Amino acid sequence: MTRTPTAPPPGRAELWKLLSESLRSGPEHPLPRRLVDAAVAWSGAREAVLYLRERDVWLPAITTAETGGLVLPEPPPQRPLPSGTALWIPLEAEGEVHGHLGLEGVGSEDQEDLASVMATILGSLLGAHRLSRLVKEAEFEVKTRLLELESLYDLGLSLGGQLDIAALGDEVLFRSISLTDAGKGTLVLFDEGGKVLFERSLGEELVAADRVASWNLPEGESVINNAAAAAPTAGMRLSACQKCLAVAISVGGRRLGVLAVADKESRDGGVLDFTAADARLLSLFANQAAAAIETARLHRAAIEKERIERELELAAAIQREILPRALPQIAGLELAAANFPTRQVGGDYYDLFPLSRGRLGFLVADVSGKGVPAALLVSTVHAAVHLQIDDARTVVELVARIDRHLRRYAATRKFLTLFFGLLEPDTGTLRYVSAGHNPALLLRASGGLERLDSTGVPVGMLPNPTWREEIRTMEPGDLLAVYTDGLTEAVDEGDLEFGLARLERAVEERRGLPAARLCDEVMGQVADFARGMPQYDDQTLLLVRRT
Amino acid sequence: MSEACKITVERRNDVAILFTDGYINNQGGEEIARQAYAQLDAGARALILDLEKTRIVNSIGISILIEVLERVMDRKGVLAFCRLTPTIDKTFRIMGLAQYAAIYPSLDEALKAVAAAPRGEAARNP
Repeated sequence: MTRTPTAPPPGRAELWKLLSESLRSGPEHPLPRRLVDAAVAWSGAREAVLYLRERDVWLPAITTAETGGLVLPEPPPQRPLPSGTALWIPLEAEGEVHGHLGLEGVGSEDQEDLASVMATILGSLLGAHRLSRLVKEAEFEVKTRLLELESLYDLGLSLGGQLDIAALGDEVLFRSISLTDAGKGTLVLFDEGGKVLFERSLGEELVAADRVASWNLPEGESVINNAAAAAPTAGMRLSACQKCLAVAISVGGRRLGVLAVADKESRDGGVLDFTAADARLLSLFANQAAAAIETARLHRAAIEKERIERELELAAAIQREILPRALPQIAGLELAAANFPTRQVGGDYYDLFPLSRGRLGFLVADVSGKGVPAALLVSTVHAAVHLQIDDARTVVELVARIDRHLRRYAATRKFLTLFFGLLEPDTGTLRYVSAGHNPALLLRASGGLERLDSTGVPVGMLPNPTWREEIRTMEPGDLLAVYTDGLTEAVDEGDLEFGLARLERAVEERRGLPAARLCDEVMGQVADFARGMPQYDDQTLLLVRRT
Repeated sequence: MSEACKITVERRNDVAILFTDGYINNQGGEEIARQAYAQLDAGARALILDLEKTRIVNSIGISILIEVLERVMDRKGVLAFCRLTPTIDKTFRIMGLAQYAAIYPSLDEALKAVAAAPRGEAARNP
């Protein structure tokens, strides 16, 4: 399509046809390129360059020459300017210059007509193109703002119904990065205790999760640091980023997490500064996220509470089946027992075993832990005692057998303290082992009180344990009180413990009462002391009196 | 999800399917454009962008996708998207991509639709 410079210039109709054909061909090229190609084709120029304005600076946007020999004169000409063998044509439309076309190697006789026609036609086309581009950019900008608003609205809706913290965190992080055009981002959320609940990064991690808690971000507003590579952001040195925007996620002054995005992208691959509009958007996101995260957390807490309650109910049912429904009637002995599980269920267990020759075996045990695991261990101990009691020749052997049974069958690694006593009512001989248990109280009818201290380690705690059997004689009227630490460690509103001394006095003062009433009154005194304060351990008391 | 967007391409006759995996940002968008133009130059009539493994796209990624769409339309080809997350689906609709490129819930539906679409006509949005 290129004409030789010596051929006569075509008329305007022909020029328009030529231009139209050129502009239609190669639609994958942008319009400015096609304009230059058409200008070269029509004018027969050896080379051409088109300068376009980018941010108030004229830059060579399209050039046909590899050497870049055509350079726009300074100042740019306001009307066609022949310059040696070159011709500079300002492409103007509607009183505005949209580009400068430089043509090298056009014949001087053609220049005036060429300049006039090109300035008009190419100027109009370039102006229309520029206007179209501006409209597109403005449309894109409007749509982007609409997207931001819609995203905030959607975020509120979806977060309000989103109770899964991980899904919620992803939603917040991805939308924040997307709408700020950031290249990367990090979101860290904490639980009430400050423990990291969720951490997610897109791209490189901006800050390690374990350092986030000490990040001194202000409440409610985003912090822009467009020099994050060189200077800390709100006191925190960030890795792997040049520019950063960060916000604290808080509810009522309580920090729930931190959201940070970094390195805002530009179309040419560079990194742009974050703006006040970006900061405002991220703050809005953080506010929406805070409300949603708090809702999800409360929901999770409610589910957890419900789960614990169900578990405790199950454990309580197990325990109810294990504790004796009624106390045995043993000639020569008066018995009483009480058990108050403090949180529906716990790890206390007591049992009584009428044995041959009128003897009584009795046990008070306290398992470490709470809930279903403790209840299952109590169940295992209950099974072990009932299986082994007939085969064991001594109290020590029985405790050792229980220990072995637990090691073999217990599903959890827990231990228990226990007091096991074997009492012959005829002689008053009491043989006992206290495996790390609280001292039982032996109240003599004559007036003294003896503490029966531990004779070995708790069951299930150590390998190769040993226990010592102790023997006492209970005279008629003597009373043995075996209890768990839930009684002595019961606390009042000032966190003061009931204590062993107070328990001893409570029993001593009532030593003349029938065992059942004595048991009720001592338990009542502990309850009075606690004044309704929630207690953290079960309370068990077993009384054995030789009559 | 890694930072860099990976693109894999599958060709079925004159339909090229571009599977994206990762963030469609400047880098991801450029990579999509590069692969898309290569497929168009190699005779592909229709492009399907399967975004199953993409959960995030930014405005620069969108502007590059619009350029790809314009190039496809100039060539009288067809562009379709499939398996978008609800967020990206809405984003594309707001930003105008869905006006000239149909969005399908599955790759099968996209394939059927572009096979039925004559050259130069955008597959209709379902």
